[in-house]
Amino acid sequence: MMTTSPSPARIVLRHSLGTVVREQTVAIIAALFVALIFVSAFLGWSATSTVDAIYKSAAVYLTKQGMAVPPNPLLAASPLYLLRNMATYVSLIGSLAGIVIGYQLIASDRKAGVMPLIGTRPVERRAYALGKTAALVSILCGLVAFAALVSVATFFILPGFHLSAHDWVKLFGFYAVSGLYMLVFGLLGLTFGALSRSETVGLLIPITAWLSFTFILPQLTSNINPVASLNPVTALTAPPSSTFFQLTGLLLGPVSLAEAYRTLAAQLLDMLPPGFADRAAISPWATLLMALVLLALAARSALSRMDMTRGDYNG
Amino acid sequence: MADHTNPILVIAEKEIGDTWRDRFVLIVTLFLVTAAMTALVVGAIALKTDVTTYNAARAALLALGKSAAVIAKPEFYPLKLLRGFVEHVEIIGAVIGILIGYRAAANERGRQTLALIMTRPVGRIQFLLGKIAGALALIFIGLTGTFLLAGASVSLLGGVVLSLNDVLRLIIVDLLATAYALIFFLIGFMAALWAKKLPNALLVAFTVWLTVVLIAPQIGDTMDPDNQVAGGVFAQLHVTKAQEHAILASFSTYETLRNGIEIISPTKHFERLTFAILGIKNIYTGKALSPILIEKTGDIIWLISVIGVLLLVLLSRPLDPNRLSKE
Amino acid sequence: MPDTVIEIVDLNKTYASGHTALRNLTLEVRQGEVFGFLGHNGAGKTTTIHILTTLMAPSSGMAKICGHSVEEAPNEVRRHIGYVPENVRLYDTMTARANLRFFGRLSGVENLERRIDETLEFLESQHLADRLVGSFSKGLRQRIGLAQAILHRPAVLFLDEPTSGLDPLGIKTLRDLIVRLNTEFGTTIFMNTHLISEIAKTCHTIGVLNQGRLVFNDTITAVSERYGDDAALEELYLSITPVARKDEAA
Repeated sequence: MMTTSPSPARIVLRHSLGTVVREQTVAIIAALFVALIFVSAFLGWSATSTVDAIYKSAAVYLTKQGMAVPPNPLLAASPLYLLRNMATYVSLIGSLAGIVIGYQLIASDRKAGVMPLIGTRPVERRAYALGKTAALVSILCGLVAFAALVSVATFFILPGFHLSAHDWVKLFGFYAVSGLYMLVFGLLGLTFGALSRSETVGLLIPITAWLSFTFILPQLTSNINPVASLNPVTALTAPPSSTFFQLTGLLLGPVSLAEAYRTLAAQLLDMLPPGFADRAAISPWATLLMALVLLALAARSALSRMDMTRGDYNG
Repeated sequence: MADHTNPILVIAEKEIGDTWRDRFVLIVTLFLVTAAMTALVVGAIALKTDVTTYNAARAALLALGKSAAVIAKPEFYPLKLLRGFVEHVEIIGAVIGILIGYRAAANERGRQTLALIMTRPVGRIQFLLGKIAGALALIFIGLTGTFLLAGASVSLLGGVVLSLNDVLRLIIVDLLATAYALIFFLIGFMAALWAKKLPNALLVAFTVWLTVVLIAPQIGDTMDPDNQVAGGVFAQLHVTKAQEHAILASFSTYETLRNGIEIISPTKHFERLTFAILGIKNIYTGKALSPILIEKTGDIIWLISVIGVLLLVLLSRPLDPNRLSKE
Repeated sequence: MPDTVIEIVDLNKTYASGHTALRNLTLEVRQGEVFGFLGHNGAGKTTTIHILTTLMAPSSGMAKICGHSVEEAPNEVRRHIGYVPENVRLYDTMTARANLRFFGRLSGVENLERRIDETLEFLESQHLADRLVGSFSKGLRQRIGLAQAILHRPAVLFLDEPTSGLDPLGIKTLRDLIVRLNTEFGTTIFMNTHLISEIAKTCHTIGVLNQGRLVFNDTITAVSERYGDDAALEELYLSITPVARKDEAA
């Protein structure tokens, strides 16, 4: 009476999707992310149209004064520049959402106390890990796809923005990179959700790592103060030209994940400042992919070594 | 050895002891120290780079027989080095507040210890005040340690002895930082005291933190028209400062909205205050302390009001014994 | 089906902390038996069950379930076993049926819905199917935990302290179920307990574990013939596990 289909990984995936969306914390953080997608679209539009209006006022003033009117700085910018805030929100809330979702995917099973039951079913640990990772990827894909949809709609609704085929490719490239960046943090959440004995510590370690990537490493490599990291324009300011920053950029650049993401996002959204030079020893693509591979391995190892005899956290 | 018969002191003392044993708050404070020192050292190196660049340019100009007056000499104000440090206090100091608050409430849940405390002759308000007093002491000790280290480092890195006036400014900022972290303590404490499920409280508190500390100032900052174009839109258009104000006047609604979003965040008030007191913002550099404090009274009142409102909410709600279980 | 369904030879377990939970445990349980595993708290009973159910690896020695090694063929072992941990917990936010559906799928049960109905009917728990597990009392939750464990009709059922926290009626209901499972399905049952009175009413054979060592292993009939009634069984137990009470909690 036994059958091998559907595959255990698929069963775990479907079940996890069903239970994790019922987690309040996942709902809160996902809702915040979605809200910020709309905020970002509004901010992009509002700030751009304000700058445009300021330009027109300035042009009237300059003409009156008999001075030359410089070209509108916005016309020189790519239409993709409208999405500059998305990059900040992905690196702030997107990554945090990744941590929370990854963590809850494991924590919901552990807290339910069902680990001994799952551990005694004929399911390879690998299949369980695969199912959980697939659930993480699916949820993050959903969030990113929604963000992309809002962006596409924004470009269709707002007048004056015309994207070339190349721009569309870059737009989707940006969302793909954003998804991968969120996945890195999702895998971090998955890993510590499985490894940690205490529920609080399991959540706080990935958050501390996130704080370090977002605020401390950029300071070391590029002298970017924490608050400046939050602004899509100032986050890409060139570092002072000294041996110290050349060295830190070269050596720490490859692990400075948030910076790698910002650089990639800036490349794809046409917002790299002119003359921007990435000083890291390896390309930001390599940094992102390396982080993904390392954390995927860490998550697999953590999930296969998880103590299935009790599972629940200490407190 | 004083015999603490005052229940507030007894509870506060236990709170400090518990937090000390539970190493996590200590670890996060060390994380703040690391971040702060990184900011200081990196800031000092950046400043040194500026000085070297200036000296080289000056030497080159003088060698060509030209005047060096055309290039601006980088000015050194030791307290300006604290910019990155203050920003880390804004972000990580708030996290420390949340963690101490969460811990203070979480410790009483699931152990029935509150039931034991409440059967002693201790009032609800005394209990809560004891917790707050303990937290306040912990936050103050942690931050003061960090500020002492920062002050000493500024002296060492800048090769100057801080004046009495500078030290006074640091003390005021330390007190303000304690008040600022207390806001987040209250948020973490209330979340953990009242949340249906305890672990959710931590995430709820972090969501508030994310919104208030990072997102609201970010939105305000990003909406600033001058931050839209690299180098600043007005500079690119070659518009004078007077004209810039005239143009901006016609966008007052936009500016009000932008400012409104910024000021809902205590973080922004804390930042405005400290940047002014430490002279980090150029218009306040070298300005005397008292006029700054008078100008920024509004921000101080704002911070105190937020604490007041949160305290009022906390003290006015009854403690629900059913919420004392872990789940 | 081999006659010996549980075969343990020289099993040892030392935890990373240095605590030795099992010392050279050798034991056999035959097909169709109800085996009662007695011992103080911390004697090593749960460690044994964790190893036999593939949740934990032994430090040395061999354990086989239905001829499959727990270390070399854990998935084969899992196909043949069902497990109800002490204070079994399920997904509180799901109904009993949804819980059973999930675990049934993981076990690869065919005609799952029908099997769930049959199992609930066997446990006289059809009325619980569509209720949220979170609303259940301990006894009801344990019944669904049991349903989860027998849904795929395992050859061996492991029960860890099944009566823990149940009221007298709950204990009686559970005892009846264990006997019915054993007689109607022929399920071999391996049960950890410290309730001596239950052993006499349910088990065919018993083993007594003391500080990780098996100190007694015989049939209930032999014990009764030698020692008489329940009280004698208690005396036997206390005489072969002379551990001071203060050490038990360790």
